[in-house]
Amino acid sequence: MSLVIRDITKRFGGLVAVDGVNLEVQRGEIFSVIGPNGAGKTSLFNVLTGVYRPDCGTITWEGRRISRLAPESIARRGVARTFQNIRLFGAMTVFENVLVAQHSHASYSYLDAMFRTRRFHRQEHRIARKVMDLLDYFGFAEKAEELARNLPYGDQRRLEIARALALEPRLLLLDEPAAGMNPKETDVLRDFIRTIRDDFSLTILLIEHHMNMVMSLSDRVAVLDYGRKIAEGQPAEIRRNPAVIEAYLGASAIGAVTTDA
Amino acid sequence: MDGALLEILPSIILEGLLVGSVYAMIALGYTMVYGVLGLINFAHSEVFMIGAVTGVEVFRYLSPHIENPFTLLVVAIVTAGFVSGATAVTIERLAYRPLRRRGYTNRLVPLITAIGISFFLQDLVRLIEGLWHGEFYMNYPSHAELEHTLVLPLDMTLQVKGLITIVVTLLMLAGLWFLVKRTRLGKAIRAVAQDATTASLMGVNPDSIIARTFFIGGFLGGVAGVLFGVLYTQVNPFCGFIPGIKAFTAAVLGGIGSIPGAMIGGVILGQLETLGGFYLPFFTNGAVGTEYKDVFGFVILVLLLLCRPQGIFGKAQKDKV
Repeated sequence: MSLVIRDITKRFGGLVAVDGVNLEVQRGEIFSVIGPNGAGKTSLFNVLTGVYRPDCGTITWEGRRISRLAPESIARRGVARTFQNIRLFGAMTVFENVLVAQHSHASYSYLDAMFRTRRFHRQEHRIARKVMDLLDYFGFAEKAEELARNLPYGDQRRLEIARALALEPRLLLLDEPAAGMNPKETDVLRDFIRTIRDDFSLTILLIEHHMNMVMSLSDRVAVLDYGRKIAEGQPAEIRRNPAVIEAYLGASAIGAVTTDA
Repeated sequence: MDGALLEILPSIILEGLLVGSVYAMIALGYTMVYGVLGLINFAHSEVFMIGAVTGVEVFRYLSPHIENPFTLLVVAIVTAGFVSGATAVTIERLAYRPLRRRGYTNRLVPLITAIGISFFLQDLVRLIEGLWHGEFYMNYPSHAELEHTLVLPLDMTLQVKGLITIVVTLLMLAGLWFLVKRTRLGKAIRAVAQDATTASLMGVNPDSIIARTFFIGGFLGGVAGVLFGVLYTQVNPFCGFIPGIKAFTAAVLGGIGSIPGAMIGGVILGQLETLGGFYLPFFTNGAVGTEYKDVFGFVILVLLLLCRPQGIFGKAQKDKV
C-alpha cells in the first residue's frame, strides 16, 4: 500500500466534515473519491495535504506518517494537488508559476545565490530546463511569459496540473479537474490523466462529479456521504450499489443511474 | 511668480527628492509586510529609529578608529541594516507569528500589538541609551567631507551626504527590484503574497518567507534611519514616529502592497512637502508659513486618495472566491 488513511476525522465546531474515513490506495492506481456536494471530499484532500490538521486518525504515505506535517513538508515528500477553484498565482507568468513549485528541488544556499557560484548556475539552469520541458509537454511553451490570469479557463486548469507536476510528485490529488468542461473536453482530459499517470509514474487520487469520466477512468472508487465512507470498490460495483444511488439521487431513483453511466 | 522663486525651483525639487527617498525606503518596509501578511506593521517606525540610533553608536565608537568618514558611513549603514533587520525578524517571531498560529480573525489584534511594540521599543531604546550614556538625545557628528556642498547645473546645490543618500537609495531600490523579480526568494515572496496556502502546497515554507520579508523591510528601514540621521543630525528614541507615519502614508498613496508604489509614493510625498514648505509663505504673503508644509502635503494626499482610494499602483479590491 502506498497511501494509507486510517480513521481520519475532521470537525469544524459541531460539523463533522470527515468522519472516521479509511482508505488504502496502491501505487499507480487511479482512485476516485465521489459523493454529493458537502460530503467531505475536499476536506479530505485538505487533511491529506496538511492544510487542515485532522482531529484524529493517521495518514501514511510510502511507509512514513505524514499526518500533522506542515503543507510544505508534505509537498516535498511528493504529494501535489490541484484545486476545485483555480488557485494559480495570477500575477505571475506561466513560467514563474511552474518555477515556484520546481524550486523546492533546488539545493543551493543563499551564499551560492549571492555569489553566483557554479553550483547556483548549474542548478538554476537545470531547473529552468525542467520547467521548459514541462511547459513543452503541456503545450505552453509559447505562453511561458503570459500572466497566468490572462490564460483561457481550460489552460488555467491544465497549468494547475503542470505546476503540481513540477513538484515531481509521486501522488497527485486532482480536485474536480473537469469542472466547467463540456463532454468533449472531459474526454480529452480523461485520456490526458491516464497519459500523465503513465509518463510521470503517478498514483492519482481524483475528486470528480462527471460520472462517465469517473467510471471509465478509475481503478477503484470510494463514496463519501456526510463525511463517512459508504462504499468502496470497482466502478461496476459502485454503479450497482443501492446505498450510493440513494445518497446521490434519493431512494426513489434506484435504477436510474445504472442505465445512465 | 517672480524670477528668484523660479530660479530656486530645481534646488527645491532636489531637496524633495532627498526627503522622498528616505520616505520611500521606509515605505518599502510597510508595503512588503502588508503584501505578505495583510498587516500594517506600525512598529516599523521603531525599526527605522533603531537603525538611526545604531548609526549614531557606530559613529560614536568607530570614529577614533576609522578616519575616513565615507568608510564610517558605509559601516554605519550596513550595521544599522542588520540590526534593524534582526529587530524586525524578532518582532515577527515573538509577536506576530504566535498570533498567526492562533488563527486570529480580527485584523485589529495584530494592529494593536504593533502599536504596543512601538511604545515598548521607544522606551527600551530610551532606557538603554539613558543607562549607557546618561542621555537619549543624540547627534550625528558633522564631518566636513560629508557636509561639503557641490554646485550642480541650474544653480542647484547638493551636499555630499545628500548625494550619498540618493545613490544609496537607488542602489537599494535596484537591489530590491532584482531580488523580487529575479531570484528564487523573490518568487517565493510573490507567491506567498498572492496565496500563502497554495504556496505552501507548492513546497514553499510561508513562515520562513515571511521572516525573510521582515528582514529585508527592516534592513531598508535601518539604512533609511542612518541616512535620515546623517541628513538631519538629530536622533532620539521618538524620532521614528513622524517619518514612519509619513512613509506609511506614502505606501498607501502608491498603493499598499506595491513595491514601485512605495517608491513613487515616497518621492511624491517628499516633493509635496518641500514644495509646499517653501512656496506657501510666498503665495499667502506669509499668512501660512513653512510650518504648514505637512498640512499642505496631507491635504493633497487626501484629495488624491479621494480620486483613487486604492493608490497609484494599487488594484481595486476584489473579493476572493
